[in-house]
Order: sequence, then C-alpha cells, then structure tokens
Amino acid sequence: MNVLSMRMMRGAGAWAAIWLSVTAATAQTATSRIVSAANTFLSTLDEKQRQSVMFAFDDDKQRARWSNLPVSFVPRGGVSLKELNTAQRSAALALVSSALSRRGFEKVQEIMEGDEVNKINEGNNPIFGKDLYYISILGKPSEKDAWMLQFGGHHLALNITIAGERGVLTPTLTGAQPALYTIGGKTVRPLGQESDKALALLNTLDDSQRKQAILSYRLADLVLGPGQDGKTILPEGFKASAMNQRQRAMLLDLISEWSSIIHESAAAARMAELKGDIDETWFAWSGPTTAAPGKNITAYYRIQGPHLVIEYAPQRLGGDPSMHVHTMYRDPTNDYGRGLTKK
Amino acid sequence: MKPRLVVAAAILLSLGGVASAHRLDEYLQATIISLEKDHLQASMRLIPGVAVSSSVIASIDSNGDGVLSQAEQWAYAERVLGDLSLTVDGNSLRPRLVSVDFPGIEEMKEGLGEIQIEFTADLPRGGPDRKLIFENHHQTRIAAYLVNCLVPRDHDIQIVAQNRNEQQSFYQLDYVQAGGSPDAPLLKWWTSVRGWIDAVGFTSVFRLGMRHIAEGTDHLLFLLALLLPAPMIAVGSRWAGFAGVRHSLLRILRIATAFTIGHSITLALAALGLVRVPSRPIEVLIAVSILLSALHALRPIFPGREAAIAAFFGLIHGLAFASTLGELGLGRWERVAGIFAFNLGIETMQLTVVAATLPSLLLLSRGREYSVLRIGGALFAGCASVGWIAQRLLNVHSSVDLIVYDVARHAIWIAEVLFSISLVCWSLRKLLGQPPALSKCESETALERI
Repeated sequence: MNVLSMRMMRGAGAWAAIWLSVTAATAQTATSRIVSAANTFLSTLDEKQRQSVMFAFDDDKQRARWSNLPVSFVPRGGVSLKELNTAQRSAALALVSSALSRRGFEKVQEIMEGDEVNKINEGNNPIFGKDLYYISILGKPSEKDAWMLQFGGHHLALNITIAGERGVLTPTLTGAQPALYTIGGKTVRPLGQESDKALALLNTLDDSQRKQAILSYRLADLVLGPGQDGKTILPEGFKASAMNQRQRAMLLDLISEWSSIIHESAAAARMAELKGDIDETWFAWSGPTTAAPGKNITAYYRIQGPHLVIEYAPQRLGGDPSMHVHTMYRDPTNDYGRGLTKK
Repeated sequence: MKPRLVVAAAILLSLGGVASAHRLDEYLQATIISLEKDHLQASMRLIPGVAVSSSVIASIDSNGDGVLSQAEQWAYAERVLGDLSLTVDGNSLRPRLVSVDFPGIEEMKEGLGEIQIEFTADLPRGGPDRKLIFENHHQTRIAAYLVNCLVPRDHDIQIVAQNRNEQQSFYQLDYVQAGGSPDAPLLKWWTSVRGWIDAVGFTSVFRLGMRHIAEGTDHLLFLLALLLPAPMIAVGSRWAGFAGVRHSLLRILRIATAFTIGHSITLALAALGLVRVPSRPIEVLIAVSILLSALHALRPIFPGREAAIAAFFGLIHGLAFASTLGELGLGRWERVAGIFAFNLGIETMQLTVVAATLPSLLLLSRGREYSVLRIGGALFAGCASVGWIAQRLLNVHSSVDLIVYDVARHAIWIAEVLFSISLVCWSLRKLLGQPPALSKCESETALERI
C-alpha cells in the first residue's frame, strides 16, 4: 500500500514536471520572445524617449516614413541608436535581433556597417554612419494584438508586423553602398547572395527561356520603391510554371534572401505561402547578364507573384553600379500586415 | 532661405556626398497607369538628379524669382502632359491634371525632390481588342523613363501584351475589353472571319496589318480622298463629267496598286532596318499627303498623275507602317514573314474599303449630286489634314482625332447610307431620264452652290 502510493506520487510528480516544461517551452514562442525583448527595451528608456519611440498602431504616416535615402534627407520617426546609451542601444539591437533570423540580423548589421564604411569613404560625412538607424514601435507590444516594430535608416527599412504568432516583413527595403567592402581583413557583400543567386538562376535558363526572362528595356530604378505601397503592377518576364524543379528551387532559395530575414517560424510560414504561389511567380531581368568575379551584378531584376514583389535595382550614382544597390521586398496584398489585421 | 541654400550647396560641394546618396545626371520620370472601364488614371513621379536639377528648376520657375508658385507648378505640369502622347486604338486622348505636388526647391536642388503629377483621361468606347500607347517625350535628353500598368481591378479588362522601347519612352499596352461596343453585324462578321483566319493559321501580324489600316484613319482618308475624283474627267482646272465605268475602274485599280507598291517598298526597307526615319516628320508628311489629295479632289492639280502621287506617298505611308511592325520586336527571320503577312493584312483591309465605297462612287458620279460628295469629302479630309499637321508639327492639341474617330466609328453606317442614296439617285435618274453627265458649266454652278 505504502509502496504503491509512493509510486503514484512519484509518477504524478514526473508527469507534472514534464507538463510544466512543455508549457514553458510552448510559452517561449518567437512572439513572446520579441514582446519581452520589446518590453525590456522600453523599460530602459526614459519617459521622453519612450514617447518618441511609441506610435499608434494605425499611424499611416509613421508606417510610411522610411526611405532608401540618408536620414538627414528623409527624417525617420523613433529614436536613433546615436541618441541611446550603451544599455539602451544593446536592448534596442536585442529587440531587432529577436524579430529576425540569425542571417537576417547579420545582413542588417552588414548594411549598417557598410554605411559606416561609406561615411569614411565620403570624408567622414555626418549624414552617414552605423548609429544613424532609428527604432520605433507602433501599437503596444503584445502576444495577441497586432503591433509593429520598425528599424531603419540609410539603405534599410524593416517594417515588422507581429500579429499573434504571425510575423510579416513587408514592405522592407535593403540596400548597400559600398556593396562590397573589407573589414578586419574580411570581404563583406551585404547583398552578395541576392546578386549571386539571381545570376546563377539566370545562367540555368536556356535561350528561349532567357528570351522571355530578359526584358528589352532599361530599368533605371525601383518601380515600387518608397511611397508605392499596395500597388500591383503587371508581372513580366519568365513564369516559374515553365521552370524545371531545380530552377524553381533556386528561385525559392533566391526569394529566401528576403523572406528569411524575419525570424524562423514567420519565415517558414511565409515560405510555405510563396511555395504555393510558385506557378504564378515571374522572374524578369534587365541589363548585363554577367558580373565581374566576386562582385555584384549590374543588372536589375524583379520577382513577382500573387503575394510578392522583389526588386533588385543597381544604382548608377557613384560610378560603379555593382557597388551600389537598392532592393525592395513587398507583398502588395499585405503591406504592414494589413491583410492579417483587417478583417 | 538663401543661407540654407548656401549651406546645402557647401555641404554638397565640400563633401562630395552627392554622388553616393543622390540621383546624379538623370531626370527620373516614373509613370504608373491604372486602367478603368471608361478612363485611365496615371501617377507620375519626376525626380531631377542633382546635376540637372537647376535646369529643371529654371524651366519651372518661369519668372526666375526662386519660388515655385502654384501657377508655375500647374503650368509646368501642363507642359509635362503636353509632352506626353496618349492614344487608344489610334485616337489621341486628352489627359487632364488631377493633382500636382511639388517638393521644396532645396530638396530638388539636392536631387532628392520628387514632383508628383496625377492625371486622368477618358477612354472612348471601342471594340474588344484595344491598344493603348503612352509616349513620354519630356526632357528626352536627360530622362530616365519608367512606365508600368497596374493589374486592372475591372475583370472585364484582360491584358494581352506590354511592349516598350529600350528607353521606355514608348509603351504599348494591348488589352481585351469585354462589353466594349455593341455587336454590330459587321463586327460579328469580322469576328467570325477572324476566327476563321486564326483557325487557318494566319499570323496575328496579318490582323495587325488590317487593324492598322482600319484604325489608322489617316491612311484611309488619304486613299479615299484620292479615289473621290477618280470617276471624273479633268478639263482644264475643273473636274467635269463622268469618265466612264471602265476608265474609272482602271484608274481606281491603278491608284490602289500604285499605293500598294509604294508602301510595300518602304515597309520592307524600314522593317529590315535598311532605312531609318524618325516618326514625327513621317506623320506630318502623311497629313500633308491627305491635304494634297483633298485639294486635288476639289480642283485637279495633278490630273492623270494620281497613280504616281499615290506611289510616292505610298512610300511615306509605308514608313509609318514599318514603325508599327517594328513595335512587335520580331526577329530577322520572322520579320520577312511578318512584312508579308502585315502587307497582306493592309491590302485586305484596303480592298475591303475600296469595295465598300466603289459602287457608290460609280453610281453617284453619273449625276450632278456627285459634286456634293466630292467637295464635301474633300473639305472634310482637308480640314482633318490641317488639324493633323498642326497637331503633329506644333504639338498642339486638336479635336481632329476625336472627330475623325467619331466619323470612322460610324463608317459602316455611313457607307450604307451613301450606298442607299446613290441607289436612289441612280434610280431617279433612270426614271427621269436625266443626262448622264454634267456639262462644264453645270459643274461650275454646282461648285458655286457649295
């Protein structure tokens, strides 16, 4: 009798322990991690800073207050890293990092580091630099209700909408100048994969496929850059429904350079959506079809599907177009997570 | 404002940061068109680069006071619209400004200012197959153009193709619009004929050729104006009397053939890239050719040499056909087949038009009523040509296209009415036993009556 009850007690204890650890694990979802990072960040701020960081969730002006341009020309909302002390700054970066994948956060850091290189190249021009990046929060960080985290500056605009377990990264702008630099003996190309994977895909196309993919006209810039939210232009180029298995996989892998900037579980959901759209996804190219070894392409390309527009637009300004690029990542049906939050 | 300007200029000059962050020596002009059932909307973003912004600003700031007033902004936007060419199915559209938004002058100087212009234009009703052409000629020398069309919200509009030239100054959108015009009997017949042509395997280029003639009202007007006096005999500086059926038919055949030979030659040469002529002067010359043939229909200025004139201007019209063919971006080999099919299409449509009008001309030309038709037709063609010349030469807007489009839209109806009238006249003449032809003095009084 005694032995039996001891066993029962132990069994119950074991079950309780398992149950507790399971709930603890499920409680620690991506969203809850981001929310707690956001709350930690907000708690490091004084009242005035908190006021400049926080906006209403439906503040359309703040949502659209981003650009490829330096912050001195298009002022961003929120506070810049420059205005924060060390503890606040690391809390801010921890928040950004919590919403992104490891590679995504690396890419963001490389873009920011590039702007620091740019600053030095431009004679210590104060309009550039890795501390001129702004953070803002729209709505109250919540595990249930939708809210937004924005982080950006020159050549960077992350617009992350968190709605329950869903995470949306559109619209997001990445850019790089210089698009290739060395730091500590290491060569960095913040958007190198975006260039290389696209060229590799182009190179798998046969002549008749190329004929469809390569547009006959010049594209000087992004078509759907800043300020062009919610627009769906006519798709052009070569449709992935006519691609073989390998080419489609390469296309999805190329898309993942943008879709996987956000944290893993949101990226997985997004990738599943884009995989479902693959037959309706187009790949279009304009410009040179080769690149100097180790350098970025100098051609424009666009990937467009029912829930996707990606544009890669080398910039002629500053001389070598392989050294300066703007890219855009959009879902015209879901700008700022509108598709999730509007019923 | 001045000190800020100086500071901005100093920053730009001393740091050379210009090149890294700003547009440089291009004037980016990005247009996005949105197509609706009966109108289109378009938004333009105009961003002059830092190296060209001062010249752009100077062209906006017409009084040079360093301020872009509301009036100057709208005047500039109107000028931008004036530099656009917007047609649907060959008919010019008239864009109307909806909104204008200008950045600060300092921003523009830095190459960061974005001028936003929104405009709208009504789309006339048309057949199911439609062709929208948008051309931007604003500041061509420094421009970098972008043009795109949104996926139409109206499910009755299906986009077929987009074509651009390399600079994107030329943009052609082919689309099908369901529920366009009511199904006229001829349209139904036309659709079934087309179905047959497709089934038999004729290329779409053939259809393009037919459509080009059917919609290119200027080509038709030239041919019709030239045919008007064909059944007449020239006596001195007057058109007098009926020339006889055989003589008329022969002359009409000669004119049509000569025109065909002329345009075939240049179409082939231009389409193969052996000749290259800018389209503006060609368009003007085509209008001039209509004016000449209209004048000739009034008073014989080149009697007996109609075929030679038709051949000569055929050469000019052929160059215009070639530019249409060129828009297709065919390959070298396809081009040879393309020229043939395209020419065949043009010919078919031309013969259809000649066949539709010829009986009326022959029936009517025996009586004095013919002067009314001849002179009325000549005046119409003459006025249209003058309008076109002004429009194409001076870049002014005129309503010629709209009027001619309206007339052309009712072409079948007009041809039917004309034929009925000519039948009535002919029967009356038979019944009343009128003399078959006009004497010289009668024709003169007829002229004076008009």
